[in-house]
Amino acid sequence: MLLVVTYSRAARRDLRNACRAHEGCVVRQFGRAALFSGTEFGAFQALRLHEKHGLDVQIEHVEPFEPADVPEHVREAAKRYEARTEPATPYERFASSRDLPGPEQLRGVDL
Amino acid sequence: MKLRVAGTTYTGTVVDLRTRPIDGTALAASIRGQRCLPAVACPEPSSVYAYAGHVRPSMGLRTRTALAAAARSQGHGTPQDEAIAECCAKLTELDCSPPDLPDPVDPVPEATVDDLQETVAAHRGRLTARREVGAEEEAVRAALRDAAMELSERETRQAAARETRELRRERARAYRDTLEERRRLSDELANLRRCARATLVDRCADAFARAVETVPGAVPDDPFDADPVTAALAVLRVARTPAPVVLETGRFGTPAAASDCLDAPVVRC
Repeated sequence: MLLVVTYSRAARRDLRNACRAHEGCVVRQFGRAALFSGTEFGAFQALRLHEKHGLDVQIEHVEPFEPADVPEHVREAAKRYEARTEPATPYERFASSRDLPGPEQLRGVDL
Repeated sequence: MKLRVAGTTYTGTVVDLRTRPIDGTALAASIRGQRCLPAVACPEPSSVYAYAGHVRPSMGLRTRTALAAAARSQGHGTPQDEAIAECCAKLTELDCSPPDLPDPVDPVPEATVDDLQETVAAHRGRLTARREVGAEEEAVRAALRDAAMELSERETRQAAARETRELRRERARAYRDTLEERRRLSDELANLRRCARATLVDRCADAFARAVETVPGAVPDDPFDADPVTAALAVLRVARTPAPVVLETGRFGTPAAASDCLDAPVVRC
């Protein structure tokens, strides 16, 4: 899919109009952003906005995500941290006393 | 004030142009310095003139905004003024011009490079084999050289394409960060101005209510419900008004009475 984000009022207005006129290629619309379907038509609509508004329109490729796409230890960390008994514990402290990766360690690794 | 209309010069605090064919809107714009003609010489008008400088039956008025401008003309400040100035300064400092991006380069597909690497390896193997059996190797050597050269060229182009892509993304991101910052500052500025306006309106609300009762026109229960002409006249009475006010309303008996009531120079047309 394509994520289209607008950075000016005019671009935002045209994005809204494009979404209204071509519902078929819009997966989801947010305030000043929208997800277009990953089709040539979706790309065509996104590129039209880009042609008109230049860098005020950002287009990114978005891939579907499943938790299983992420390494086991990351999933485990999220699961156990959300099941913590003391809500005020920051993750760093939570991880250090357990067999879990610290936040710095996670930051340093690309998916 | 000094005013020149169609060859006649008028001076004084009250000018009556009811018998002259003059456009009040043009005159008010001249007073605000947005037009050259008719020629007007007068003190600098404050921002309140943008709202109430031309009083006419067809006018609309954002009463609270106009009253806040009137409070400013009286020299009132607000606790937000410093933050507003700071915010404005930051906004003008932001360079929001779009950056120049290097032209996009067509990416070299990973598969092309992989294929070439395989070809080079195959040629190399063939060359070794021929050398071992003592066969003629010149043709294979040439093929290897060509393939290796093409591979290196493709790899260079691939690296250049990747670099250009990175650079384009980096610059675009920096530009969009600036736009985000501008959006954040504009929101903050709008909030601060709303707060400041509320403070100013509060401060002048009593004076405004008294003014609504004093100027000619209907007096509603809530002074802020007054019709635009009444409200504009009341705002002018509250404001400091060194520059002439253009009146296109018959609310006052005479232009001189209007000038007295509003404590302002008046052009009646």
